[in-house]
Parts: sequence; structure tokens; C-alpha cells
Amino acid sequence: MHRWLLTRLLWSLVTLLGVTFVTFFVLECSPVDRAQLETVKAQSSGSFDDVEQRNEAIRQLRVRYGMIDAKTGEPLPVWDRYTAWLGNALTLQLAGPGEDHEVFWRRLAAALPVTLLLGGLALTIAVGLGLPVGTWLGRQAGRKRERVASTAMLVALGIPEFLLATMLLLVFSVVWLQWFPATGLRSNGSERWLFVWQVLDFAHHLVLPVLVISIGPFVMVTRFVRDAVARAATAPFAASMHALGIDARVVRRRLLRHGATPVATLAGGLLPMLVGGSIVVENLFALDGLGHLAFEAVLAQDQAMVMALVVLTSIVTLVALLVSDVLHRLVDARVRLTGGTA
Amino acid sequence: MSGLRRWLLWSFVGGVLFVGLFAPLLANDVPLIASVDGRLQFPAFADLIGDAPPGPNDLSWKTWWSRLDSADANDGGEDWAFMPPWPYGPLETDTMRFRAGPTFAHPFGNDDTGRDVLARVVHGARTAVSLGLPAVLIAAVLGTLLGAWAGLRGGLVDTFVQRLIELFLCFPTMLFLLFAAAFFGSSALALTSVMAALFWISFARIVRGEMLSLRERDFVLVARGLGVSTFRIVVRHLLPQVISQVGVTAAFCLAAAVVAESTLSFLGVGPNAESSWGTMLRQGSEQATIGAWHLWFFPSVAIVSFVVACHLLADRLRRREVTTA
Repeated sequence: MHRWLLTRLLWSLVTLLGVTFVTFFVLECSPVDRAQLETVKAQSSGSFDDVEQRNEAIRQLRVRYGMIDAKTGEPLPVWDRYTAWLGNALTLQLAGPGEDHEVFWRRLAAALPVTLLLGGLALTIAVGLGLPVGTWLGRQAGRKRERVASTAMLVALGIPEFLLATMLLLVFSVVWLQWFPATGLRSNGSERWLFVWQVLDFAHHLVLPVLVISIGPFVMVTRFVRDAVARAATAPFAASMHALGIDARVVRRRLLRHGATPVATLAGGLLPMLVGGSIVVENLFALDGLGHLAFEAVLAQDQAMVMALVVLTSIVTLVALLVSDVLHRLVDARVRLTGGTA
Repeated sequence: MSGLRRWLLWSFVGGVLFVGLFAPLLANDVPLIASVDGRLQFPAFADLIGDAPPGPNDLSWKTWWSRLDSADANDGGEDWAFMPPWPYGPLETDTMRFRAGPTFAHPFGNDDTGRDVLARVVHGARTAVSLGLPAVLIAAVLGTLLGAWAGLRGGLVDTFVQRLIELFLCFPTMLFLLFAAAFFGSSALALTSVMAALFWISFARIVRGEMLSLRERDFVLVARGLGVSTFRIVVRHLLPQVISQVGVTAAFCLAAAVVAESTLSFLGVGPNAESSWGTMLRQGSEQATIGAWHLWFFPSVAIVSFVVACHLLADRLRRREVTTA
């Protein structure tokens, strides 16, 4: 187990390096020149009069962003710039050149809890509801009501998050029923309220966003569990348990265990989905989380922030994959004993 | 389940793909073929030929065409035009019909600048399909080949491909598409390649797993014993067995691609196109409060029905696979 874990960790690190390199390289291939973009902005506000001055400003910005060599003016090779970035990243200096590290980290630190809360709640709801519902559906496999429920879930999966969020916003908070607040996480002036009211207010604001994010993962978990339980329910061991006259509740518990195993492996794979969902939801509901930050970074062509976000999400995903693998080994003795196929 | 429903599903998905591929020929405000002063012209094919068509005598094609009808009745003139089945373009504005609701002439209504919503939905299908279809095709070919290679060869190749899969698994699709859209100026080529780069892992994982179990089967051993070449075994005996699994994945990926495109467009960083379901939805939802329901209703029906149809198709293929295996 220790040796397996160590190799696994090492591979995760290599993967992380690979992810950062691919992202860096792709961003380098971008035709958008941030230095030029900024001088264009400055020019439109009237700070550059002649071309010479403007070119000099562009050159200085390029040097500052580490795009060209300060002395020769030649563009630096991608590899050099990547290693420079990596060196900074290892010392946790993820902010771009000429940016205040403190401000940069504060932005990240302010956004992280919001996204973690949203994702964590969505994951809890997805697994907490998906496990029983999936087990129930798995035992009903092939019956009419299972088919109807499964089709309904497929349709739910087919509604894109942005569409669902828009519809919910229109119905429940803007046009017809003004039940839930449309934006933010707190009401104005709620700081002066009683703590209990603050918590309730917070929960009130969270209902719609969490609902939107958790639908996709919930359906995924339910379908996974349903398939696993349906397969186990037709397995010889279930039939023989029934034949031996073992209590139906005990059999059900055994089947649940078969349903729980794939969820352990699925949880890691759900994270990229949650990140995608949080981008949409945070933008629509105006929540200041990582998704919102990503969108801002993208609009501002902020390469440093993009890299920081990629590193952050990859670390979270890799850790989740690792944890789900460990869980899988703990839950399922077959994987542990045969060394696993994956 | 009944054959009728299967037929409906296939024809719906196929129909949307067809409409998407041939949108400029199906809904356009310029004629497919026109004869002006004895010369044949093909204004609707201008995208292919690359020459934007000005109308004859400096009129818009539409004006020319509408005058033609009355003139025709008088002198049986030699000019004629053959219009597309839906004679409205996605950008053609009608100043008399700002936010007009559905009528017989415009069954989906008009938007806030008087553009025909049906034509925009049709051209939105074009944007979605022209982005998603090539991405899924590239991903399917690439993923199947790499997955088969890894599953059959095993060893170092397998390890390498598996690490590659894990690497790409780490990229959150939406986040990376958003970055690509912003840093490459929303070019369709960049978005398609990024989608293909993110989708191939689904194919590779499925095909690899299948190959691992298939290569141990007796018929492979028999074929080998009969001296059949490895290439022939793969192409004739192994790949046909995974084709339905690849189809399932392709249907899911196509749905995911359409959702991704419309999400990007909804957020305002989508591909540069004449019309997109996501863009229509954004504009429609902004105007929902003033009672223009048809602006958000029709594009959302288009997205949801196509995505659900893809999912149902995939589910049906998957169930058939489970029951016949």
C-alpha cells in the first residue's frame, strides 16, 4: 500500500507538471498580445501621442511580462519562460510580473471558500441523494417506473446549466415568484442581524445556485449506482441469498455496498464537472468565487491568473482522483488484492 | 421499445445535423439560383465561393426578388429566382416587426431588431454542428486509435497512454474552453481543436478497456493461429466490436459539444457566428421580463431537445449493447 501510494503520488506530480506545461504552451500560442492590448487601452485614453513613445511602452511591458529579453529585445523561447514561471510557482509566487503578490493571493483566498462551499454542498447532495435513489432504481431495473425515472433523469441531464439557471432565475426570483434572491450570498445590511437570521439568509441565497450545480452530478451518481446495483441484483450471490431465505433488508444492504463502490471512483471524475458548473452559476448569480475570477481573468487576458487557476483546479482534481483511488482500494478488496487493473 | 420511437430519434438527431450542415441553403435571404439579365448567379453559395453578392441593380436580393414577382405577372420576364425553402436570413432585419410574436409568416416570431427567429435557430444549429461535429469526429478517430493501440500492445505504450489520459482528465472542460475562447479570439478552429483535445480521452478509455478483454478471447487466438496479420485482426475483427461503444460515446460528446458551444456563446465569448443558440438565449432572457417569451423559448427548446435526443440515442445504444452481450 505504501509503495503503491508513493508511486501514485509521484505520477500525480508529473501529471501536474504536464498540465501546467500544456496550459502554458497553449497560452503562448495565443495571438493575443497583452502588452499591445494594454497600450491600446492607454492610447484610447490619450496618454500616447506619438508612435515612438507607444512602441517604447509596449517594449517595456513585454520586458515586464517576461516576453522578451531586456537587453537584446529578442523574444524569449517558450521553454525559458516556462521554467521561469515554474521557478516562481515553486515559491508560491503565482502573481504575474509587476503585480502585487499580496493582492493576487487575497483575490484567490476570497474566491476559494465560495467555490468550495458550492462544490462541497453540490457533491454532498449528489452523493447523499444519488446513493439511495440509485439503489432503489437498481432494484427496480427493467420495470416501468424505473424506465420512466431514468428517462426523466436523462432529460434533466440534457438541460444545460446556464439554461436551468436562467429559467430558475426567471421563475423564482425575477418575473413570477419572488421567492429567492437573484444575486450575491447575503442581503444588504445583514451584518447587523442576529446570527441565526444571518445563517438563514445565507442558506436562502444558496438554494438556487446549489440546486443548479448539483443536478448534473446527482444524475451521474444515480445512474452509476443504478447500473452497479442492477448488475449485482442479477448476480448469483443475490439469488442464492434470497434462496437461503436471508432477510430482504440484509440483501438490500449488500446490494447497497455494490452501489457505493463505484461512487468512490466517480467522485474524482465529478470535480471537473463541478468546476464547469461553478463558472456558469457564479456568473449568473453574481457570486464572487473562482468561476467568476476565471471569467474576469479571461476577459482581461490575465495569463498569471489563468495559470494560477489551472494549477489550483488540477491540484484539487488530482487530490480527488487520488483519494477516490485510495477509497476504492479500501472499499473493494478485489482491487486491493489483485493490484487493480487501472 | 417500438421501432417508431427509434426512427423518430435517429431522424431528429440526423435532421438537426443536416439542418446545421446546410443552413445557408435552407434559410437565407438571397436566392439559391437567380437569373439576372440572362446570367445565372448563385448568391446563397457565396460562403463557398468566397464572393459576397451585391444584388442586381444595387438592390438587395430580397427587394429585387419581391419586385420580380409582380413584374413577372405582367410581361413574363426572363429574370427569375429560386429561393431557399425558408426565405429569411439570420441577419435580415424587418423594421416593422420588432419583437413581434409568432405568426403564420414567422412561426417563431421576430427578435428585438426584427430578425426572424426561425432563421436564427436554423443558423444556430449550423454554429453548434460546425463546431461540435468535427471535434467529435477527430476525437473519435484519435481516441479509438490510441485506445486500441494501448489496449492491444500493453506495456510501455499502455502506461504512456494512461498517463496521457490522466493528464487530460485534469483539465476542466469548461474552464479550458473559456481560456481558449478568450486567448484565441473565439476562433472556431481553436475551439474545435480544444474540444477534440478534451474529448478524445472518453473514446480512448472505452476502447482501451474493451480491447483489454477482447484480445484474450479465443477467436483472436484462432485468427492468430491461422496466420492472420495483426492489422487485419484489428480492423476486421476487433474494431467492429467496439464500434457501438464508440457510437455511444460520440453521441454523448456531441451533446456535450453543443452544450459547451451554447454556454460559451451565452457567456459572450462564443465563436464568431451569425447566430448561436446561446447568444439568442442570453438576449431572450434579458427581454423575458417585457413579455417576449418567444425569444427565449425557441432556442431553449432547440438546445434541450437536441441534447436530450443525443442522450436518449446513446442510452438506447448502450442498453442494446448490454442486452445482446
